[in-house]
Amino acid sequence: MKIWENLIEDTKKIIPSDVQCEIKMINSIDSLTRFANSHIHQNVEEEMTDLYLTFHSDGKTTNLNFNITSLGSIDEVVKKALSEIENNPKDSSWSGLASKENSYDGYRNLSPENPDLRAQKVKDFIDQGGSFNGAGYCSSNVSNVFVWNTNGLSSSDTATSAFLDGIFRSETSSGSSHLGHKTLENIDGEKVGQEAYSIAKESQNPQDIDPGVYEVILGPDAVSTILVFLAVYGFNAKSKVDGTSPIEIGTEQFDKKITLVDDPHKEGALNFKIDASGSPKAQTEIITNGVPKSYFHTRRTSTELNEKNTFHEMFGWGDSFGGLGTNLYLQPGGISKDEMISNVKKGIYINEFWYCRVLDPITQVVTGLNRNGSYLIENGKITKPVGRLRFTQSFMSSLGQGNVLGVGSENRFADSEFGEGILNVPMLHLKEFNFTGGVSG
Amino acid sequence: MFNQINKSIDSAIGSGAQYADARILISKSRNISSKDGELEDFNNSENMGLGIRALVGSSWGFYATYDLSDKSLIEAGKKAYLIAKASSKVPGNDFPLADVPIVQDKYVTPHEQNPFKVSSTDQIDLLVSSTHEMKKLGSSIASGRLNFWDTEKWFGSSQGHEIYQNIIESGGGISSLSIGDGETQIRSYPQSFGEYRTGGWEVIQSFKFLDHVERLTEESKRLLTSPQCPEGTKDLILEGSQLALQIHESVGHAIELDRILGWEAAYAGTSHLQLNKLNEHRYGSTLMNIVADATLPGALATFKYDDEGTPAQRVDIVKEGIWTGVLTGRDSAAIAGVSPGGMVRADGYGRLPMVRMTNVGLLPGESSLEEIIASTDDGVYMETNRSWSIDDLRLNFQFGCEVGWLVKNGKITDMVKNPTYTGITPNFWGSMDMLAGKDEWVFWGTPNCGKGQPSQIGHTGHPASPARFKDVRIGVRG
Repeated sequence: MKIWENLIEDTKKIIPSDVQCEIKMINSIDSLTRFANSHIHQNVEEEMTDLYLTFHSDGKTTNLNFNITSLGSIDEVVKKALSEIENNPKDSSWSGLASKENSYDGYRNLSPENPDLRAQKVKDFIDQGGSFNGAGYCSSNVSNVFVWNTNGLSSSDTATSAFLDGIFRSETSSGSSHLGHKTLENIDGEKVGQEAYSIAKESQNPQDIDPGVYEVILGPDAVSTILVFLAVYGFNAKSKVDGTSPIEIGTEQFDKKITLVDDPHKEGALNFKIDASGSPKAQTEIITNGVPKSYFHTRRTSTELNEKNTFHEMFGWGDSFGGLGTNLYLQPGGISKDEMISNVKKGIYINEFWYCRVLDPITQVVTGLNRNGSYLIENGKITKPVGRLRFTQSFMSSLGQGNVLGVGSENRFADSEFGEGILNVPMLHLKEFNFTGGVSG
Repeated sequence: MFNQINKSIDSAIGSGAQYADARILISKSRNISSKDGELEDFNNSENMGLGIRALVGSSWGFYATYDLSDKSLIEAGKKAYLIAKASSKVPGNDFPLADVPIVQDKYVTPHEQNPFKVSSTDQIDLLVSSTHEMKKLGSSIASGRLNFWDTEKWFGSSQGHEIYQNIIESGGGISSLSIGDGETQIRSYPQSFGEYRTGGWEVIQSFKFLDHVERLTEESKRLLTSPQCPEGTKDLILEGSQLALQIHESVGHAIELDRILGWEAAYAGTSHLQLNKLNEHRYGSTLMNIVADATLPGALATFKYDDEGTPAQRVDIVKEGIWTGVLTGRDSAAIAGVSPGGMVRADGYGRLPMVRMTNVGLLPGESSLEEIIASTDDGVYMETNRSWSIDDLRLNFQFGCEVGWLVKNGKITDMVKNPTYTGITPNFWGSMDMLAGKDEWVFWGTPNCGKGQPSQIGHTGHPASPARFKDVRIGVRG
């Protein structure tokens, strides 16, 4: 991009030779068509170009963030940064800039999807709902990232994604579905609508059941919530540095059926192939047959823990967050949804979790609720829809040894409390899950 | 700036929009974090851009750009119209906008010291020294943060609004985390995630972090060896900042009219409240008086006009326990047939304005925390939020706090760890039987309220004083 090339050329001319400098640019067009009460009510598009500048000199670091409009002259910015840096204390965990050899050229000049196609996908969804009330969104995104540093590294990448996520509501029920892909044209609006409608229809007139420990089948969105919590609070190496991670590398902490990888090169993966240091990401084993294999590292955490960097630094996030995999893939098993249900003597099917919060990061005890489709399963058959339940359950234990009875055969991108498109997962059948409250509290 | 805004608005109206408004923002922020006596993150941020929304039929079209050239501004207006028009594939009923005064005005947040003009060394030193002290006293992880925002907004509309506002917000906090055998315990001040207000550096100075480092460290360590919060049904006394979050989650979101109308159904959810029960539904006990007041000096959600140009105001939400009001925008107010309350704001120039809580607070009672404790035979006093979860109707909630204190026969006895409580919104508020007075009424601020798609972060205020709730289920554990 010309704007980027010009900025780097100008910067090179003015950076003093004893200053380390890293510049990142995120350029994106995010579009989202939102519908409720079965019509489109909000429709937005934002074009942004944000710059993140890091300067390190005399053992001290400072970070500045502008969008391209407020940047003004790079000369002034460098002067401001070098003046500001003098006020800062020493940065003892500075871990340097990525090397020139890590450069990666992945930029592609792509155009955004148009709002008419998003509206059509919404129509395809809503048309499946009969008299039920439809709500949700259809989004599309084109993002480009660029990284340059004074080591001579120059990297870029482009990612695209599109999602259709919706619910149908009746007087007494709701059902949801979600699909993600690199391009909008590959999202099947009718399929998403049919699934959401089917769940909403089958969930009508739910009955209350007593809280307690139940066998559960979790839909992909519920599975992704568990995994994203473990990723952020456990596999994020920053939590290990802080002493709050429950994850012990090389120890069999999970059921043997759990294998999780982070793989930006997998067919259909939606997120960048470089991290925010500008370095290429590789396939990383996170959990293999129940054994944790790696944390998500950044330059700083790999230095602090003296472990190999896995290049999971996030664009636009500060050093205080740490690292996170954004192309996570939970290995599927061989069990179909029907077979999974037939294996349950008495249990609950949960389509989605809602409003999950950690009570203690080190135990990974989390509380939250179910929504958008839950059923009681008895003797291998769905017998009735069930109402609102609150769980209070350790997510570590939920995937612990012996607690995973089955892994579904089909993966899909799933939404989670930390966003969409970062987890591609199947359904899971768990032996025990602790529900601590019902509709009455 | 208003000339530039009007170019974009004229373009949207010229393309066929029935109404358009636009905002140009220059947003500055400074985020500083410290851990264990060292600087962890220092980030200065500044961005600038325009967001324009156009109304066509039943849908808003919104376009945001960082490019403020004439050509781009005209194009932005046209795009906002075209995006709204694309929605006609799946149309709803046309809706009007409620009338508001058309004003030209300006407003600057009252403040003593602009935080961006204070030496960053002073700001860093405050955090580094606080976290250094806590670490020295035995904290496993001593952390602190400061956040400052200086936002200049120019708002114009096709009806003739021209409003400039400069909103200045400051906040932060410190915490001590102690790590034991398979558990962590934390104590935070002034509240978890920090306390935030409108105003300048003087807000931070008023917190006096260093006066609290010893207590926080001692309590976080002592919690590791304290007994678990008992399970059962007891009287619950909530400290003000926890009650503020209780208000935010179980009242503030439930009274958002966009949720009640189903506009947020797929994501944030709806509400247990039904408009036909306005002025009839009993929300809580007669001690419960909630107002949404965007005019409170120093509270976090205080401004002069919202992002639709509607004047800031005070609206009764619950009077003596009866639900009387909702949070509205010009569109939702027109649909529901109520007055627009000036409660629409956006997260930066790049987001569509939406209904947002202002300062939704519980008016003080006539008691005091001391009297509440003295009149409690068997209860738990819980301080400072640690976890929060509530269903999408805003009915079934569970909160965890950092510390609990058993109250026996009118006196605080033992510290207990992992205190939690759970309940159902109207039952819980119906059980409030004592409420502390104005001397303990604090304008608590929440800087991290998530809502909308694309996601927006809102800054909301929740004035509250301590209160007691009878017969609440406590001590829920996994």
